[in-house]
Formats: sequence, structure tokens, C-alpha cells
Amino acid sequence: MKKLNILFVLIFAMLITGSCSKDKLDPIPKTYLPDFSAFDTKDRIVAQVNGLYDFMKSGQYRGGRFLIYIDIRADNFNNLLSNGVTGYQTWQNLVTESTNEVAGLWTQVYATLNAINIFIEGLDASRLDPGKAANITDAEYKQYKGEALALRALCYFDLLQLYAKPYNMGAGANLGLPLRLKAYKTPADNDLARNTVSEVYTQILADLNASEAMVALTNGTAILNTTRLHRNSVIALKTRVYLHMNNYAAVVTEANKIVTASAPFSATTGVANALQASISTVFTSPWTTTESMFSMPMVATDAPGTQNGLGYYYSRVANSSPDYSLVATGIIANAGFTAGDARRGLLTINSGKTYLNKYNVDLFIDYVPVIRYSEVLLNLAEAEAQAAGVVTARSIALLNAVRGRSGGGTYVAGDFANLAAFIDKVMLERNIEFLGEGLRSSDLLRTVSTIPGKATVNPVPPTSTNYIWPIPLSEILSNKAIVQN
Amino acid sequence: MLFTLLLLTASLVIGQTVQITGTVTSSEDGLAVPGVSVTVKGTTLGAITGPDGKYVISVPANAKALTYSFIGFKSKEIAIEGKNKIDAVIEQDLFQVDEVVVVGYGTTQKRDITGSISSVSGESLKLPVQSFDQSLQGKATGVSITMPNGVLNNPPVIRVRGYNSITGSSSPLIVVDGVPIFTGDISTNNSASNTLADINPSDIASMEILKDASATAVYGSRAANGVILITTKKGIKSEKPKITYDVYMGWSKPYKLFDLMNAAQYVEHKNLARKNYNDIRLLNTAPANQTPLDAGTMFFISYDAAGKPIDTNWADYIYQTGFQQNHALSISGATKSTNYYLSVGYTDQAGIIVKNQFTRKNVRLNIDQKVTDYLTLNANFGYTNSFNAAPNTGSLAGQAFNTSGIARLAFVTAPIVGPYNIAVTPNLFNDGKFNLNGNNLGVWGNPGGSLGYLNPIPVIESNKFTSENERILATFSGTLSPFRGLTLKTVYGIDNIGNEGISYQSPIQGDGYSSNGTATNTFSRRNRWTWTNTANYNTVLAEKFNISLLAGAEEQYSTINVWGGNRSGVADPFVTSYQGSWVTPLNPTSLTQTENYFISYFSRVSINYSKKYYFEVSGRRDGFSGLAAGKKYGLFGGASAMWALSEENFVKNSLDKYLSDLRLKISYGRVGNMSGIDNFGSLFLNSPGIYGTIPTLYFSQAGNADLKWETSDKYDIGLTFGILKDRVQVEMSYFYNDINNLILNTPQAPSKGIPGNTIPQNVGSMFNKGFELSLTSFNISKKNMQWTTTFNLSSLKNEVTALAPGIDYITGYSGGTTETTNRTLVGYPIGMIFGVQTNGVDPTSGRRIFLDKNGREVLYSNYVPVGQSNWTYRDDGTTAPAISIATDGKPLASPLPKIYGGLDNTFSYSGFDANVGLTYAFDFYNYFGSKAGLRDQRFWNNSVEVYKNAWKNPGDITNIPKPVFGDNVSNGSTMVISENVEKGNYVKIRNLSIGYTFNKLPEKVGIQSIRLYTQIFNAFVFTKYTGSDPEVSTNGDTNLSPGVDRNTAPQARTYTFGINVNF
Repeated sequence: MKKLNILFVLIFAMLITGSCSKDKLDPIPKTYLPDFSAFDTKDRIVAQVNGLYDFMKSGQYRGGRFLIYIDIRADNFNNLLSNGVTGYQTWQNLVTESTNEVAGLWTQVYATLNAINIFIEGLDASRLDPGKAANITDAEYKQYKGEALALRALCYFDLLQLYAKPYNMGAGANLGLPLRLKAYKTPADNDLARNTVSEVYTQILADLNASEAMVALTNGTAILNTTRLHRNSVIALKTRVYLHMNNYAAVVTEANKIVTASAPFSATTGVANALQASISTVFTSPWTTTESMFSMPMVATDAPGTQNGLGYYYSRVANSSPDYSLVATGIIANAGFTAGDARRGLLTINSGKTYLNKYNVDLFIDYVPVIRYSEVLLNLAEAEAQAAGVVTARSIALLNAVRGRSGGGTYVAGDFANLAAFIDKVMLERNIEFLGEGLRSSDLLRTVSTIPGKATVNPVPPTSTNYIWPIPLSEILSNKAIVQN
Repeated sequence: MLFTLLLLTASLVIGQTVQITGTVTSSEDGLAVPGVSVTVKGTTLGAITGPDGKYVISVPANAKALTYSFIGFKSKEIAIEGKNKIDAVIEQDLFQVDEVVVVGYGTTQKRDITGSISSVSGESLKLPVQSFDQSLQGKATGVSITMPNGVLNNPPVIRVRGYNSITGSSSPLIVVDGVPIFTGDISTNNSASNTLADINPSDIASMEILKDASATAVYGSRAANGVILITTKKGIKSEKPKITYDVYMGWSKPYKLFDLMNAAQYVEHKNLARKNYNDIRLLNTAPANQTPLDAGTMFFISYDAAGKPIDTNWADYIYQTGFQQNHALSISGATKSTNYYLSVGYTDQAGIIVKNQFTRKNVRLNIDQKVTDYLTLNANFGYTNSFNAAPNTGSLAGQAFNTSGIARLAFVTAPIVGPYNIAVTPNLFNDGKFNLNGNNLGVWGNPGGSLGYLNPIPVIESNKFTSENERILATFSGTLSPFRGLTLKTVYGIDNIGNEGISYQSPIQGDGYSSNGTATNTFSRRNRWTWTNTANYNTVLAEKFNISLLAGAEEQYSTINVWGGNRSGVADPFVTSYQGSWVTPLNPTSLTQTENYFISYFSRVSINYSKKYYFEVSGRRDGFSGLAAGKKYGLFGGASAMWALSEENFVKNSLDKYLSDLRLKISYGRVGNMSGIDNFGSLFLNSPGIYGTIPTLYFSQAGNADLKWETSDKYDIGLTFGILKDRVQVEMSYFYNDINNLILNTPQAPSKGIPGNTIPQNVGSMFNKGFELSLTSFNISKKNMQWTTTFNLSSLKNEVTALAPGIDYITGYSGGTTETTNRTLVGYPIGMIFGVQTNGVDPTSGRRIFLDKNGREVLYSNYVPVGQSNWTYRDDGTTAPAISIATDGKPLASPLPKIYGGLDNTFSYSGFDANVGLTYAFDFYNYFGSKAGLRDQRFWNNSVEVYKNAWKNPGDITNIPKPVFGDNVSNGSTMVISENVEKGNYVKIRNLSIGYTFNKLPEKVGIQSIRLYTQIFNAFVFTKYTGSDPEVSTNGDTNLSPGVDRNTAPQARTYTFGINVNF
């Protein structure tokens, strides 16, 4: 009986206490880091900076699809598989507000923007927190923030390429984008109206200018100089932005910071950015030459994903089933793309179709270019001529530097009857040089040109509603202040 | 005080005894009843009647009465009054009011249940099926069970009294022997893994489905969707161990495959479509450049070496007759102090889809050991190994549009080419290899670019997906009864599942093509322990008040760890396993590491006065780790009352002729649903990742610290009674379930950049209401002839009453986010099928008539001469804006059956038995999305109906438009159209069985009885639905997109033959 009582009491005691495990009720996730400790060490801060780049690197954005959309909207590529998942509607220029591409890109770019804004707010707050301020030096703080600001600028600039009318239509007075400049973590503040295109440009330039003064001159290693922003690459982005605004003088000013007065052109401060002797070097492993000013790194373990990789869409390599071949009558048929041009080495012919093989190492792991030094040279060539109103010797030299590097031939002043003829050749050169690098339709739009038709797709004049993409339905539904294009 | 009580109990046992003898007979036929338990009232002293119905019992001198009880008979009490011989006549209990029914944390007699509970005995579930959920279909009122399709081990969709959540789960909590188990599909690849199938159906003794809040409140925050309690078998007292061996084997066939065009019809039809396309194309070409339609643009039939035309029925390669066998052996018995049940089971089943194979091996040992008069120990131990192999069927949730899903390839792929290169004309192919063109099916020179997404044969032959579970589901418990009336019980239970997923996809064709072959292995471990302590006290006050008290505490801790790796790039085609050599080393996949914890206290008080007036209150306080600090606890409870009217004299006297056992029940309670709350849902989190090769940390979750449980206020009123002296028993109830604080992932403006673009909030509300009726009729219940009919009917009205502020609807998708098929809108039932209204085909032009948002008719042509519009108004031919779901879509129909239930007839005569089980559902619609595919005018093969009925000449009245090659709009491939929404009403003969039992076998044989039986499962469906089967769920268990039939495999019809032997 005694034993029984003891047992009885024991069990009853357990019943009442339930032996509650308080720590089990407050579990700490093992694979995630709660936000309050994200700025506790320098390593975590650096990891967050890398995380911002990784957001941008998503296959939905600069890891693949953004470049693909910009290219396939234009005139160089033929769709082979009519697959809605791999850009068929974009290629036809028939996207609607509910097309996956329209929502997918918008969502990913704005996710990147919010990550950037969260980081900037958190970083600034940690500078004011005595317990955390000493984690990084002032120089490091500036570098990280500078990188974040430049990434923010690039995000907005990229969005403008598809969701707003080009600056040169109406001098930026058209509707641009909702400028989200603060961190969003709660259900509040869904509604935000669109700023004008020029207001967005103002913000982009403010961020880039601030960034230029903050980022490092060099990141130390070849890979970091290609995959993380530094002063020269921020300046390079500025040349692209100013060019889109037809602010040629500013392009010249900016480009001259990183381009020598005469050939061979190179950057004399910061990272020694310069053209490579051979274009093929730029597109082979390790993809980290001084020409690649900013690229998205890829490895097998961090690839953009199936149906996102540039190689997957374009390349004829082992196990490929490309979605796009080159339009037979397009740039590859242009007499200006000479037979001896080394850039023809980046093409391949299979069963009578020509494919772009720039991303030929694998379907997924070729680095994806954001900006190359050759673009800075061509931006400068165009801007210098436009600013001067005449074709200058240096602008020809700049154009020749890019064209001649690949053995495409060189021009002399006599080749150009007037400025327009020169600009035509620059545009031709851009079309050849950046084929499949996500610049083509942007170049058409910034010059307010008709997007040429191809195969069964009709040309799209600037007056057409499908000249730009609509704002995605998901945004229209949840943001009452937004206005559709 | 306690001690004195204990002494009192003990003193009862000691003292003088008297011997009483007697015979127990049945009132029905006057025959002796063996196995009747005879106990001295108020003690545990007892005896059992022998084969001749006789018993002998020693009773204390002060004993007052004897109680006679036996399953299937009403218990009877006879006063001793000094007699030494007492013969008892016991009455058959058709109503089985004395039957013990399992309730939350205890048991009760059926007559004392005040809440709404459906009880299903293991016997009536005993069908030759893979998983118990299949045999539960149509058996329990208010319980709707849908088998998504004929893919093996695909988890069912179980709904108790409708949909109780929108973004969380609407599946009930399933508790096996007191332990809430893991449910759902836990596989990480294309082979499904239904965790319910780990339980051998033949081990189940009974199932109770708790429906109203009174019955479920004791499960608190997890009770909103109802609770299914499963009790496994125990040994039953008998002279010698009972050994049974049950074996069955069977064959499954696909039920109602699509009737597709053959090669000749395909060529004829597609060339007509080409011609129609070309006629328009010519209008677009300058006359000088016009060329007539030439042979080079036409489809043609190919021939093999023997000159035989190629006519491939792809379904022949994809479906099969699958053989299955099942063995179950059990040994059970009981002595005075021990009762045991031991079983082993083996089942091996081939599906209707090739390479779909399910194997289960399981062992169960349940043992109760009475240690002393006051202490009993119990262990229930179940081990299961289940192994499922499947191809990529494209028929699991989210897979509807997989290009390598073979259920879809079976009807999409053109019949004019074959899987192997054997065609000899007009293009010479005879290499005997797979007919391939890159990662597509080869076309043998046919124009149009494509004749099939993939060649399914290499995909089926080379790729493999398996999922294997090792599961231990066990409880250990101790029950202590320190004195009469009080029971203390501690139960420790575990549910540990290890699941290994293995897949290989070859580089030849399919999803492994672009990565040059890929192998993925994953391992997941789900561990859960539950520790429950309860105190139960039963007493009688003033001889009239029966009081039962329950108090308990429970903890449950679960962890889920999943990890895996993916390797790609075959080094040598010989290597197909992850462990072999690969070019690309490793990508981690399926990484999950999570946990959750519940701490709960619960209590229940049940009182009844003279078994006439019943009252019960129960409550539970749950603490859950997934909620924000300071908000972790929630309180839930329910109350119910029952009035046994038939015990009242005024009722007894006036109604006894017609009615018996009339009871009125009423209940209310508030319970919760926590399935929508993520384990770390309240936290703001950063995830680690990589940028190239360097580590990153990125913002991955905007949490919500205000998140709390979804709450369900459940109201129930019920009436039960018997008619014709209990020959017919009727149970009726009406329920109303008001659901609030629904957790909705409130859409955020994508421009805010919040991960996932949603933040979960408690904002929505919804209700379910309905009527339930169940009838049991003992048409004949003679000893050698019995006929019982059970019928149940449930009605359901579900309506969403509020969504998040500013949110008008929630989209339901099919196949990931490929197709938007449903919308959940305020004022409608959840998951309305949403699409554009169509109105047949314009007889003049053969174009599909769409209705725009204003109801104006718009015609569509996929290809038009330059300068014309694809969309034109029918009335004046002017250009109309393109029809789109966003602009012109409407809620078309509700996929939720308003009426559903089952009808069972069991008949036995002498040794014969027969059973017919029906299920039915009425007043609901399905979106037959596959029909859009079957009519699509790209290269896709079409149904014969298209060949026959497509519009051909002006004046044709048909619902299939003029075929224009490439047209994927007119028939609904690009958007849901009402043409493809069909009423799903059906009556299904679920099972049809006959058997014969050999009972009087010579003793020498050592066999008590043998039953031979045969059964057809899924025998017939009576429906006007034109799809394969109106019982379908392409999207699995989802709440947001039910009623979709898109590219899914058909159901299986199974024929089985079995032998059941009792030793």
C-alpha cells in the first residue's frame, strides 16, 4: 500500500506540473537568423551585403531572365518552342498584366530593393548602437552602404527598362515607378503612387553619386572586382544611366574618370579596367578579367535554376534544348558583322539554325555580365560625338577599340557622312558586341525606335501600348495608388 | 481520506462468499449465449458463461445484484435476493447503446454520448484496401473522403463537416491509440507517401470521428477540423488464442480512359485544322506569293517495316492491369491478467500506372498486463516499412502541368509516331532506338515542329522515384486505480518516421535531360513524442447523479529534419544512383529543420441525472511554440446537454409503440486550428545562402507577432431515436460552424518586396452549416439470416464571409501557379471555379462564343487576316477587347458537394454474405480541365468527340468550334471556360462483395472457420460527368483549388479474391 501511494503521488504530481519545458515553448530556429542579431558581427554584415547581390543574381532577375527579356523582345532571336514558361509572350510582345514574366521580374526586383532598404536601415541603426558600432570601421561602413546604394540605383534603372516609357519620350514626365526607399516588414503602407520617370532618374543618380564617394577603389581580388561593386563599376553604371537620359556631357564626364584620353583605353585609377585582347577570354572561365566590371557569379551549387540560365535559353551545347535561335535575317546577316569578326566565334550553327553560344561552358554556370568595359567605351564614343555634335577622332578611336579588338575592321573618319551615320555604326556595334547581354531593346527604347518585327511577330512602334510592359496585376490589386501603363 | 477509501475497497474483497449458478439465454430465440460476462454489481468479480450458456460465480455474502453483459445485447441487472440459481434472459441490443465508444482521453458508453460522434467499427471497415481511409468512404455521416485519383499511396482529401480553414489545413486531427500522428504526403519526390497507409487497416478495432465542439473541445487548438480517433485491436478473452489469417489478391484496372482519335482520325482532323489555318494564311499573302496547301505542311501516317500503319495508343504504354496481394496474420487472446494482440501484415500492390508499386510490411503488438488489482500496464507497438515506387505521374498536388507527367502524356501525344524508330516511310527510320528529337518526341518528318512534349517511354523506363518509410508508432501506458472510481493514467507515445526518397532521372529524355542526368536522395526524420497524464474519476451521488471528471496534462514535441543532395551529369550511364560517380558534385536539396511544442491542460466534467439529463463541459488550454512570446496560450472549450426523452414517463407512455430511445442533444463550443501557423511564423528571419562561393544572409521572412489560432464556434443540435422496436435507428443533427480569425496570407503590394509578398494575418471568416441524417435498419436479424441497411446523408453549405481588408478574392491555382482555376470570394463557398462564361459555338462562323463582363457575346478566331481582330462582337462584327479571366471572369460554380453520403447493405444467410456499399455526392461541379487539353488544336491528340463533332460547315450546331491549327484559346487551354465546367453528381458503387463462410469444419482440421470472398472496389459510377471520374482532386488536399480535374490519372477499379481463416 505504501508503494502504491508513492506511485500515486508521483503520477499525480506529474499530472499537475506537466513538466513543462519552457525552452521548448520558445524555440530558436536553427537554420535562420532572427533579424535582431543580423548586425551583431562584421561577418554577418558582410554576408548581408553579399545577400543583396544574391537577390539581384536570382534567375528571375540579373541571373538570367532580365537579360533574356530585354533581348527577346527585340529583333535578334527566334522562339523555337512556343513555351509560355520561357518567354513566349515576351518574345511576341504580347504580355499582359497577368503574364508570369511581368509579375516575376517586378516581384524579384522589388524584393531586392526591400532587402537593400532593410540592410541600409539596419546598417545605419547599428552605427548608432554602441554595442554594434565597433563591429566595422568607417571605411567598411561606407563601402557596404555605397554598394547597397548602387544596387538600389541599378534595380530602379532596370525596372524603368520595361515598366515605364523611356526618358526620351516626354523628357521623363511619364509615369515611372513607385519609389520605395524605406524598409518594409509589416502589412502597413501597401499604397504608393508612381513617381515620374525623371524623379526615378533623380533618385538613381543621387544613389550612384553617393555610392561613388563611398565604395572602395578596389575590392582586392579579381573575383571580388567582378562580382562586387567598386568605384569604377559604379561610374560605369552612371555612364549607362546618363546615356539613357541623352545627357551626353555627363556621360563624357563620368566615362573620362575611367577611360584614358587615347588608345589603348583603360582605367588609371582603382581597378585597372581595360578591354581584353580576345573577346572569348571574357566569356570563359574564370570570367573575372578586368573587362568584366560587374558580373553575376555562377557556380553549380548556386546556379540560376532550370529555365532561367542564359545558356539554357540560347546555347547549343551538350544536353541543351535551346528555346531561342538567332533570326537568320537579323544581326548575323548584317554585312557590318564581318566574316572575320571574332565575335562570330561566339555563334554556332546546328541543323541550319544559328545559335548564340556566348554562354557555352554550361547551361547554367557561365557568369552573367552586368556591365563590361567595352560598353563604357561605346557609351563614351556615342556621347562624345553627340555632345560635340560632330564625329570626333576619339569617338572613332573608341568605336575602333571595340570593333578592332575582335577583328571586325576599323573605321576612318571618311566612313561617316554625318553624325547620324556614326551613331548608326555605334548602334550596330552595340548590337554585335552585346548580343544576348540584355541591352538590345533598351537601346531601341532609349532612342525611341520601333522594335522591329521577326518571324510571325509584328513590329512595335513607340506609340503602341505594348512598347513597354504593363504594371503586374498583383501590384494593381494590392496597391490602390498605382496607375496602370 | 484516500487511504480510508482504499481500505474500504479492499475490505469488500475479503469476507464470506456464496456460489451462484445459472444459464443465460437470448430473448430472440431462447438459445444459450456463451461468452456473457457476469459480474457482481459494484465489484470487479466476474465469470463468463460457457458454450452452453452456463456460469458459476462466487459472490460476497453482501452482494446485491448480478450484471449480465455481452456485446450485441443490452446489459441486464438481476437482484440476488438470496438466490443460488439465477437464469437470465438477455435481449439483443440492436442499438448497441452499451457499446463502449472511444472519446477524447477516455471511453464512454454509446448511450451517454452528448456530443456528435460517428463511430465506425473495424469490422465494417474490413475491405481489401491499401489504407483505412479508402474503406471509411461513405461510412460516417458528415465525413467526406475523396481519393484524388488512381495513383498509389496518394493521400486522401478528408473533410469533416466541410472546409474549416482557407490557407491552413482542413484535414482532421488523427489520433492513433492516443497519439496525434503525422499526416499528409511526406514524400520529397514523385512517389507519393500517404502516412495514413502506414497503418494496416486490419489492425483497426474502431474509428470514432468527433465532429462537434463538445466532442472535440478536449483537443483544443487542433480540433476545428474534427478529430478521428483510431483504436487498434486488443485480445479478447477466449479459451485459446484466436488466430486469423487473411489473404487476398486482386487486379486493378484504370477506370474509363479517354476515347482518343486514332492515327487515321488524327491525320484527317489535324489536316483539316491545318487547312483551315492555311485558308486564313492565304488571305494574308499577296496573291503573287500565294502557294496552295502542299503536302509538305500536312500530317501523315508512317508505316513500319511490314507496311503496317503506325497507330500508337500511348495509354497502352502507360496504364496496366496491376496485380496485388495482401497477407495479414494475427494472434490474439486474453487470460485473466494479460491480453494481447499480435499481427503481421504484408501487402504488395502494383498500380494502374506502370512502375507504380506499393509494398508495406508491418508488425503490431498490443499487450495489456494487469500487474495488480490496481495497476495495469499497456504497450502498443507498431512498426511499418512502406515502400512506394512511382513514375512521374503528374497527378500529385501541384504537378498537373508537368511536361513529363505521364498521365498527361498518355492523351496529349500524337498517335502517328511511335516510341521507337521503326517507321520506314516516308522517312527511313529503323534503328530500333527511342524516337527522339532533342528533349522532345521525334516527329518522323511531320510538320508543325512537335508531336509530343516528350517520348514517355524512355522517361518511364529509365527514371525512378521511390519513397520508403520506416515508422514506429507506439505507446506505453500505465493505469492506476488507487480506489474505486479513480483512474490515473499516463501515456507516453511516439510517432517516428524516417523517410528516404531516391530518384534518378536519365539524360536520355525528360527532366534529367538538361542536366545530363540527375540523382537526388533525401532523408527526412519526423520524430514526435506525446506524453499525456490524465485523472478520471467516476462516482454516483445520491444514487442518481452519475458524475465523471477528467483532468489531464499533455505535452507534445515534434521535430522535422529533412536533408538531401542532388548530383548531376552522368559520368557513365551505368551509374544511376546518387552514390555513384557524377560530374557535378552536389547540390543540397529539401533542407528543413524545424520543431514545435505543445503544452496543454484539459478537463472535462460529465454529469447525468438518472441517465435522463446529461450535461458535459470540457476545456483545454494550449500553449504552442509557434506563436509570439506572450501570446502562446489559448483557451478552448465546449459544453453540451442531452435529454433522454424516452426515459421520461410522459414520453414513454405515449410514444413507446412507435419510438424508442428518443434523445435530444445540443452543444456549443469554441475550438481552434493552428495548422496555418508556421513553426517560426512570428519571427522576422534572415536565411543563409551563397553568392557564387561566398556566404550570404538575406531577409527571408516578415513574421507576424500578432498571429493567433483560427477559431471555430461550433453549434450542434441533434435528435436520435429508434422506430419499430429499434429496427430502424435514426440520428439527425444540424450544425452551424462559425469560423473566425482565419489566417490569411494577406497579399502585400509586390513593390514592398516582402518575401513571398504575403504576411499571415488573422482576418478572414467563414461558416459551414448543414444537416446530417443517418439511418440504420435491421431489416432482418434472425440468427441465420441478417440484412442490415445503413444510410447516411450530409448536407453542407459553406460560405466565406470575410477576407482581408482590401482583398476581394484569393486565387486558387492548379499545377503550381500555371493555371488559375479557382477563386475564393466573399459571399460564395470556398474555392469557386472561376472562369469565363462561354455560350457554345456560333453556327455561322464556327467560332467559340465568349461572354464578356457585360454579357455581350464575343467571338474568337485564333488566326485572322491582317487588319482584323481575333476578338469580335458577335452582334455587329466590330473589334472587341480580348477576353481575359481578369476582366471577364466570373465565379462559375461551386465544387463543394451540397449533399453527400453513403448507403450500405449487408446481407447474410447461412454461410453466405454479401455487401453493397454506395457513396454519392450531389449538387457540385468539377472543372474538367483535361477537356481543354482533349480539344486543344495544337499538335495534341483530341478526343474522338472532337473528330466527330467539331464545327465543319455553316449551320452546324455543335459545342466544339471550327478547328484551326494552333488554336489553344477556343477550347479553354489558356483560361477556364464554362464549357469545361460540368456537374459532378454521382452515385458510385464503392464496393460489391460476396463471400461464403465454412463454419462447421471437423475439429481435426484445426480450423474454426474459413471465409472465401470476392469483391469489386470502385465497381460502377453513375454520373453524367464526362471526365474519367467525378471523384477527383488534381490539387490534393488544398482548400483553395478543389474540384479540378486536370491532366490527372484516372481512378482504379479493383477486383479481389480473398480467404479468411480462423484457427
